[in-house]
Formats: sequence, structure tokens, C-alpha cells
Amino acid sequence: MEGKNNEIMIEVKDLSKAYDGVTVLNIPGLKIPKGESFGLVGNNGAGKTTFFRLMLDLIRANSGTVMTKGKNVSKDENWKFHTASYLDDGFLIDFLTPEEFFRFTANVRSLTEGDLSEFYILFKDFFNDEILEKGKLIRDLSRGNQKKVGIAATLMSDPEIIIMDEPFNSLDPTTQIRLKIILNDWRKDKNTTMLISSHDLNHVSEVCDRIVILDKGNIVKDIHSSNNTLKELEDYFYTQIYAQS
Amino acid sequence: MFKWFINHEWKRATRSNVWHKKVATNILMGFLIFMMMLYLLALGLFVDVIIRGLYPDQDPVGILNGFLVYYFLIDLIARFYLQQVSAFTIESYLHLPVKRSTITHYVVLRTITSIFNYLPLFVFIPFAVKVIAPDYSVVDAWLWLLTLIFLVFTNNFIISYLKRQLGSNPKVVGLFAIFLAIFIFLDYFDVISLSSFSTFAFGLIFTHQITVIIPVVAIIGVYILNYNFLRNRLYSEEINIRKHKKIDSIGNIRYLRSIGLTGELIALEMKLMWRNKRPRTIIYMLPLFVLYGFFFYPQEIYQETFGFLIFVGVFMTGGMMLNYANYAFGWESSYFDTILTNNISIDRYLKVKFLNSIIISAICYILTIPYLFFGWEILLINTVTFLYNIGLLVFVLLYMATYNKKRMDLSKGSVFNYQGIGASNWLAMIPAFLLPVIVYLPFSFAGYKIAGLMAIGVLGLIGLIFYKSLLKIVKNQFLKRRYIMAEGFRER
Repeated sequence: MEGKNNEIMIEVKDLSKAYDGVTVLNIPGLKIPKGESFGLVGNNGAGKTTFFRLMLDLIRANSGTVMTKGKNVSKDENWKFHTASYLDDGFLIDFLTPEEFFRFTANVRSLTEGDLSEFYILFKDFFNDEILEKGKLIRDLSRGNQKKVGIAATLMSDPEIIIMDEPFNSLDPTTQIRLKIILNDWRKDKNTTMLISSHDLNHVSEVCDRIVILDKGNIVKDIHSSNNTLKELEDYFYTQIYAQS
Repeated sequence: MFKWFINHEWKRATRSNVWHKKVATNILMGFLIFMMMLYLLALGLFVDVIIRGLYPDQDPVGILNGFLVYYFLIDLIARFYLQQVSAFTIESYLHLPVKRSTITHYVVLRTITSIFNYLPLFVFIPFAVKVIAPDYSVVDAWLWLLTLIFLVFTNNFIISYLKRQLGSNPKVVGLFAIFLAIFIFLDYFDVISLSSFSTFAFGLIFTHQITVIIPVVAIIGVYILNYNFLRNRLYSEEINIRKHKKIDSIGNIRYLRSIGLTGELIALEMKLMWRNKRPRTIIYMLPLFVLYGFFFYPQEIYQETFGFLIFVGVFMTGGMMLNYANYAFGWESSYFDTILTNNISIDRYLKVKFLNSIIISAICYILTIPYLFFGWEILLINTVTFLYNIGLLVFVLLYMATYNKKRMDLSKGSVFNYQGIGASNWLAMIPAFLLPVIVYLPFSFAGYKIAGLMAIGVLGLIGLIFYKSLLKIVKNQFLKRRYIMAEGFRER
């Protein structure tokens, strides 16, 4: 977007990943500037999670590189200091209480006691009295509440890059709206680079400046947000259905 | 309905991700069980010859009956540690038009498939056929055999009841253990004689045949106990979510907080160990490791042979550490991605693993200091093996732990639970026990026993001095293996 500076935050080059000889992701090139909120849309098996995992150096690419702030994520650990992520419940430590988990995350991300209490104030509404001081371990929370814990922990350290896989899934309607408000505020005020995947075209078009559609591991559409983004996205998936029948 | 349950369980087992990996272990276990059966069969066929040799003038049946009470006691203890009360996922059936009683009966009955119920038959049946039938009568042989079979299954149901109680009400198990211990204690000091009671009780079968009713009543009693216990707990929320307990404050040690991220990571693993079933059962096994020395130290032959006591020392001070470090990364398989994506540097992460191993080994070492009672050599042996464990062995174990890429289910018990354990873990145990003995032997042959022990300690100290370089080797290995581990851990 104009107005924001054009520093490239994430750069993907010739990235590919194959399992048993079947290519599941193939991205020749992609640049994500600082402050962009980047939406990833695609059907099941399109390669969204694979793409995010490659960005987080959780799986080894067959070829190509992901660079954040100019450094290759698989060679240099520096990206960890400015990237926060939540892909699935494997990112939660389920035998801790939410408080213990937040404490742990705060410590890992070098936040102070003060930062932590500020975080609790900021997320008070988001938690809606269902998370804190319940005396429950994370594994005993409902799925939606587990997700809240994961998302809040991701956002707590005010990171430069946020990567979230399906953040709206299994959240209650109020929390979905609250999350959208938080993400939109950050987009305006903090210049955070956000990567969000979703199956819900509404949500993703509301919080993203740019939306990329993945299909069978390839980028098939790269849309910069405008008033009729939602329409454009819907049209794409409609045509897919008609093309098949 | 049972047909469906069995069918589903079979599918669940064979279609699980680890099934094909478990085949090798299963074949090995099958072979061991087969060998065991042969031994027991041989014992059953010749036990009368043995008894006649030892007690020439007495009735072998009476003698064997005298031993039976001990057999059933040992059986109970062995089953407590070894027999699995594996979970059956009833949630998928509760909402269907299946009677709750049917489900409960199935859950209770499925424990009878345990191999523990069938192994003793290999002794009892030949004995009944070969000795009792000719000496008494065929009817007596049948009654005797039936009594024993009923008692074997009574044990089976007692154990499954106790193991289920262990989850909800451990006090019951404690009381039962104290109850047994009192009997064993009284018997040991000749206040009562379990053996003559046993001879008398099992002898009743031949004089008053109606007594066969007693084990029948016993088995029905424990069956009902199990049934009622489970029947009242069929609500899945009560099975899955434990009672609203106060969260323990484990790991909230001020010192750990004060040393920053390293302390935080140590505290995290303390919580991991205490709040999950599988690591917790390993903690419960701590007394077994520490008391191991009692089997050997009081006997004079072992006092002379340090070689074997070194093995005992490694095992006592390092056994717990071995259990921990072998799966150093596997323990964290359910949230390994968190570790990899947060800004925890690998150096620090591995150092925490190293520190934890030292802490665990040190606790075991401190607990073995009272063995000083058996001579200062014992303390020396345990000291040098402790140094070896924390200076050298730990690095071997951490290195090998990177080959373990199986997700570990922390909610399952641990004894004889091979889930999440690869061949690498077995491999790691060989140098663990052999190397110190190999170092010691040349010195011993030359007549310098103490110098041999010192050499083991020095080896450990050298490792401790160069711990940074050794951790570096582990780090390179970790970096090489991290994707493979992470991918394996993600597979449920």
C-alpha cells in the first residue's frame, strides 16, 4: 500500500515442498512488504499450512528459501525474535494453566512483569472471564477457549510478524469480531506484518490488504484489497465449481 | 454388540500409525512369551519331582498348596506393575442405542484377555493331571484346578479395580498395599504362617468339596465391584476431566524464577513430569531404582566383585536419568513446534536438558548415600558412577534421543509401554551399562581396584570440564535431526 514504507519483510524464492514425489507447494517468488496484512485462502490441501510451516522453519523445503528481514529462516535463528505464530494446538502446552502458559511465553519473549500485566488489561475483554483464574489446565478448556489462549499468546509480545493459521475457526462470534478489531487496529497503528489463513472469505477480506489464493500448492490469484475483494474471491470459487461440472 | 466392540478395537490397533513400527516389538514379546510358556510347562511337568527331592516324606500336593498363597501375592504385585488396563474409547458408543450395562460389562470383561491369566495354567494343569488326579481323584483334580483358575481371575479383577482406583482415589490402593505388607511382615517374623494357612485352605478342597464355592463368590464379588465402579463413571466428562482439583504450585520455585528463561524451562519440565500420567509413573518407580542396591549389598559375594557393583551403581544413580534423557525431546512431542518457533536458542534448550539430567541423577545419588552403611567402597562406586553418568553418559543419551521421532502420549502409563520408543533408545542403553565396567576391568586385573574406580570418575570429570564442546556435538546433531523429529512428533 502507498504511504507505508516499502521495506520487504518476507521474501520467498523458488520455494517448493514435495511429499513422496508429489509437489504440495510451489512458489516461484513472493514478496511481503513490512506492515502488509496478507491473507491466504484455499481449499483443503491447497498448501496453506505447509507454506506457514516452511516460513517457521518447521519443515525442510525441497528447494528455495524463505527470507525474513533478509535472513534465511532455516540458516539463522534471528527470525524467532520478531515472529510470533499460532498454527494449531501443537503450539499450546496443554498441561499448564493459561496463566502459567502466558508467563512462560512472556519469559521466552523477554517481556517484563509490567508488560504482562498490561497484556492482561488489554485482553480482558477478549478473554471474557472464561480463561483466567479458572484453576483449569489448558487441556481441560474447550476448543474455542484453547484457541483464545493460543491467539492471545501470539499477540502478547507485540511482534513484527504474526503468522496465524485459521485464527477465526472455532471462536465464538463475539470473539471473532473482537479479534478482527484487534487485527485491524494493529494494522493501522503498529505496522505489524500479518499472515493469516482462513476458509472464511468474509473474515479474510475484512482484515487483509492483500489476499492470495492457493490451489494445489500454486498461487493462482494475488488480489490487492479493494471494495469488491469479497466478490472477486467468491467469483473465483464459483467458477471453480462450474468449471468442474 | 461385543462382536462390534472387538472388531473396532482390532481395527483401532492395526490401523494406528505405530502399528507397523510395533510389529518388531510384538514379535519379540511373542517370542518371549512363548519361551516363558515352555519353561512354565516344564516346571508344571516336573514340579512334583522337585518337591519330592526337597521334601521326600511329604505329600507334594500339600507342599505346593503351601506355596500357593505366596504365588498369588507375587502375582498381585507383578500385575500391579506390568498388567495394562488399557483404555477403551466408550465415548463413541454412549450416545447410540446400546445399553450402558452392555458397555460396562465389556469394559470389565476385556481385562481377562491379559496374558497373566493364562501363564499360570501351564503349571497348574500338568500338576493337576500328573499328580492330583492319580493321588486323589479326577474330581479332586478338577475342583483344585477350578479353584486356582477362579483365584487367578479374582486377582485379575482386583488389579483392574485397583488400577482404576489409582486414577480417582489412590488412598484405596495405599490401604490395600499396607494391608498386604502387614501380612507379609507378620509372616516374615513368624507371627503368623501364611504357608500353613495356605496348605490348610487349599487342602479343604479335598476334604470339603463344597469350599469350591468360596473362590466363585470371590470372583463374583470383585466382578461386581469393578462393574459398579465403572457403571457409575460412564459419563464421558467424568472420565476425561478429572475432578476440579486445585492446581499444584509445582515449579513455582522462586530461585528458578530468578534465573530467567533457563529457570522457566526447567520449571516447565517439572510441571510436565508431575502433571502427566506417563512421566509420573516413572517418578513412582524412583524407589525401585534406589532400593535396587539392597538386593546385592548385603550379600558377601558381591562385596568382592566391584565389576558388578559398578553396574548396580550406574543403574541406581543413572536409571532415572536414562528414562528422562532417552526421550529428552520426545517428552515435549505434543508442543515441540512451540519450542522450535519461540525464541529459545538451541544452546540454551540443550543446556536445560543437560541440567535436568544432572538434577535427576543428583537426586538419585543423594538418596543412595545411606548405602555407606555397607562400606565406604559402595559410596565410592556410586560417586564415580554418578560422575560418569553426568559427565559422559548424559551426552550419549541426548545424542541418541534425537533419533527418537515418535510422538509420545503422556496420558498413558509407563511400565512396559513401548509407545514412542524406537530402537535407538534400546541402543543407547548398551554403552550406558558397559563402558564403566570396561574401563574398570584392566585396572582390576592388574590388582588396582580403587584406581580402576577412580578412572571411571576421572572420565566423568573430563566430560564435565569439556561439557561445552560435548553439548556442541549434540547441538549439531539436533540441528540435523530437528525437521525429522518435528515431523514425527506431529504424527498422531
